[in-house]
Amino acid sequence: MTDVPPRQSPAPEEQAGGAADTGHNGGNGHSPVTVEFLSEWRNAAYNCYSSGHKFCREVCPVMQVTRNENHTPTAFHANVVAMEQGELTVEDVAEDYVNCTQCGACELRCPNTLFTGDFYRFRTRTVDLVKRMRALAVDNGVHQPGYQRWNELTDERSHEPVLGDTPVSQEHVRDWAGGLDIPIGGETVLFVDCEAAFYRTSLPRAVAQILRRAGYEFGLMTEQWCCGGPAAEMGYRDQARRFAEHNLADWRAAGVRRVLVLDPHDYITFTEDYPEFFGDDFDIEIVLVVELLAQLIAEGRLTPTVPIERTITYHDPCRLNKRKGVWQEPRQILGAIPGLTFHDVDRVTQWSYCSGAGAGLPIERPEIARKISENRMDEAAQLEVDTLVSACPWSERPLAEAGQDRAIDVVDIHELLAESLGIDVGGRTRA
Amino acid sequence: MTGYRYHEQHTPPPARQVTDVAVERFEHIFEVDPKLMTAHVAQQLFPNWDTLRIAASRGDHLEWMHRHWAYQVISAQELLDEIESEQPG
Ligand code: SF4
Ligand code: SF4
Repeated sequence: MTDVPPRQSPAPEEQAGGAADTGHNGGNGHSPVTVEFLSEWRNAAYNCYSSGHKFCREVCPVMQVTRNENHTPTAFHANVVAMEQGELTVEDVAEDYVNCTQCGACELRCPNTLFTGDFYRFRTRTVDLVKRMRALAVDNGVHQPGYQRWNELTDERSHEPVLGDTPVSQEHVRDWAGGLDIPIGGETVLFVDCEAAFYRTSLPRAVAQILRRAGYEFGLMTEQWCCGGPAAEMGYRDQARRFAEHNLADWRAAGVRRVLVLDPHDYITFTEDYPEFFGDDFDIEIVLVVELLAQLIAEGRLTPTVPIERTITYHDPCRLNKRKGVWQEPRQILGAIPGLTFHDVDRVTQWSYCSGAGAGLPIERPEIARKISENRMDEAAQLEVDTLVSACPWSERPLAEAGQDRAIDVVDIHELLAESLGIDVGGRTRA
Repeated sequence: MTGYRYHEQHTPPPARQVTDVAVERFEHIFEVDPKLMTAHVAQQLFPNWDTLRIAASRGDHLEWMHRHWAYQVISAQELLDEIESEQPG
């Protein structure tokens, strides 16, 4: 902790970043927006820099692959110190920050979170720092070409370009639901992320039909756009906010009170980015589908009976396990499916696992993302399983590719449950 | 089931003073008295889920450490008592 004079009443946004007044604004020729950033992040950066114990290092999936000290959470914080001291500029460091999937392992394993974060109500926030540094770069006109193109295309089409050269478009966002007769609007709507809506359409079809089987009523949005989370992760905050405002307005206009979320990335966006954008005005309940399904099974409203003869392991999606502490419910669902042989790996061991698919890493550093996916599937292969089950659509495409060489299928947990409920989901698992 | 609701998450249970410097809002989760966090480092906005996630992860992590490396787990007090009992006279 640094010895600096107090300010009377810190501004709320500074509380979010954890900085009280610094008295040092890190001028050093930086732009005003950089000076503001340094003021907000100074305490957090010195907190890490003075600790420097690197418990974060070996759980980081990127570090495991690159062994480059510039890609460590320690370096991500130390850069802020160096900028504040006038030794570096945002232009010098911006590119380093693409080397992160925002998996959250480092910040959870950091003793300043794990052992004292709840005590002080002040924890390490590497994910937020990476997001903010990327945004700072964009604000200073420093763009990573892959991120820039991805977000331009998303802005043009209201959805991420998940089909590559095949354009996605607003008129097709509900195509996945063809033949299911799901109403538009209602008190509860199902939000389907871009990957599932356009690429892995079997997933939302499975979720929709399971919910219907349980007698759980829901509708679809009038005009769903991308959640905006990817733009926020890559530093395009104004775009992220515009998308968030659109979706919130769509919910309000239709009288929506509750949004069901099947994708862990959307769950992060709606429970972390939207609250940051809208504060007290954010009055929509956000329900994670995997938690809802575990409850419906526990209540006896869903009873999987069709045996699935597979030997499986479960991949804890980073944004559920590490970032939200959600790891029990998926295992409860798997435990209810007859026929499975389950070779589980505990959730703490999985803090150092990642699919490589998060936060735009495959866009800017596909070779690193691919190696992370391969590492994850090597761990699965050691368990002598024929199937890896995941609960995150974004992980499933790269893991399935890595699984091909190892003769391991990658299956979505919602689709597996639907199969055991005797539902023929339809749709497709790839483009 | 109840999902995430902003107002719930940003309304922590009332703080009970447990020592001069610590309060308790959730059972067995102690926090520094916020009055002591005003001069140098301001506290962050901390939704309830985050407090509970960190506390649960800590328990899981310690259990994992014990499972992998500890032959036996004892409290510091037991260790002190043992040392004291070994000291002559
Ligand atoms: S992020 Fe945490 S564990 Fe890593 S060096 Fe900084 S303070 Fe230490
Ligand atoms: S969030 Fe994950 S990928 Fe990013 S620095 Fe931390 S451990 Fe590494």
